[in-house]
Amino acid sequence: MNDSTTTGDPGSTLTVGELLSDPALELDLELLQGHEAISNRIRSPRLQNLGMALVGSSEEVHPDRVQVISGAEAGYLESLGAEDRVRAIERLEKYDICCIVVTQGVEIPGELLTLASGRWIPVIRSGAPGDVSIETIARYLERRLAPRITIHGGLLEIFGLGVVILGPSGIGKSECALDLVLKGHRLIADDYIEITRRGEQGLIGEGGKALPHHMELRGLGIIDIREMFGVSATGAAQAIDFIVRLERWRSDGAYDRLGLERAGVEWLGVIVPVIDLPVAPGRNIATLVEVAARIVLLQRGHKTNLVQV
Amino acid sequence: MIRQTLMVANRLGLHAGAAAKLVRLASRYSSEVVLGREGANQRVDAKSILGVLMLAAGMGTRLVVSVEGEDEAEAAEAIRRLFEDRFGEVP
Repeated sequence: MNDSTTTGDPGSTLTVGELLSDPALELDLELLQGHEAISNRIRSPRLQNLGMALVGSSEEVHPDRVQVISGAEAGYLESLGAEDRVRAIERLEKYDICCIVVTQGVEIPGELLTLASGRWIPVIRSGAPGDVSIETIARYLERRLAPRITIHGGLLEIFGLGVVILGPSGIGKSECALDLVLKGHRLIADDYIEITRRGEQGLIGEGGKALPHHMELRGLGIIDIREMFGVSATGAAQAIDFIVRLERWRSDGAYDRLGLERAGVEWLGVIVPVIDLPVAPGRNIATLVEVAARIVLLQRGHKTNLVQV
Repeated sequence: MIRQTLMVANRLGLHAGAAAKLVRLASRYSSEVVLGREGANQRVDAKSILGVLMLAAGMGTRLVVSVEGEDEAEAAEAIRRLFEDRFGEVP
């Protein structure tokens, strides 16, 4: 099954409107100006202080980043005479700035709002102080703009390791995941895994927003694992450590007999180790997957890859 | 492999009933059937009801359907007909 291949690195973007309306941001944002331009795109997870643009240092300005006005910028504008202030603000005109965020308690000059409305730059008021606003938005953007793919398979946390179960449909991935839940491990996602690459943390997998922790078992229908087995049976997001690929037993017997062969699958530029497990009567797949996790732990000297997401 | 772009034309989109029909149809064939939104880096198994539901494909969504296997021609044709038939929904 070619579910283990990916098609490169999608350049994710986010519109200003999506930033404003996503409750996951947990920041009180209010649009002051520029309703017309909320479809502007944010392309970088990093933020920039607007100071650079105000003093006219064009090389340094990244218009696809959220521009922030906090106390320092407002103080600078305040310190200028009326004429210089207008000139400083007019310097912004030459950039295609995606949006400006003004942090809590900061007075913005009327000239800026006038210019923003003419140039279709959304100006957003944040309900939090500068450092909190910047950190919250940056963390949110890093998650939203991270390179992303979806994979058909299951994701579990076994002894602190993130294990992806792949295999053709009908081979028993969900049944294996259910067995692992019954053994006390946690289900992160079944049948649909969203994988993002986050800098040093590597690959993070999570389920879809629509039906989290649901599982389809043929003959029983769709069950909610969290409701049935409780919060300790599920997890929200998990760093991915290795893949178990289930396959039908081949009669040629060409299997790894010594446990020395290791393959890898590339997802978003990261190579994830793969263990191929043939499925046949009498082979308890969940137990084998659990032992695979123990092997990986032993090889690593018990260091797990737990992260906070 | 046969790859075709099909539009979800029924009013309710790929809701549970329509998704179940698609999954049941795809499961009749030995070929692998993969769905994705046009232009998005998203792949779900058309034989998995949860996968198909997770696409949250509303009316007008264009889906890329890839079919690969021994009976790919028949499977691709049957799936195309199901989409054209609006999943059997009365318009």
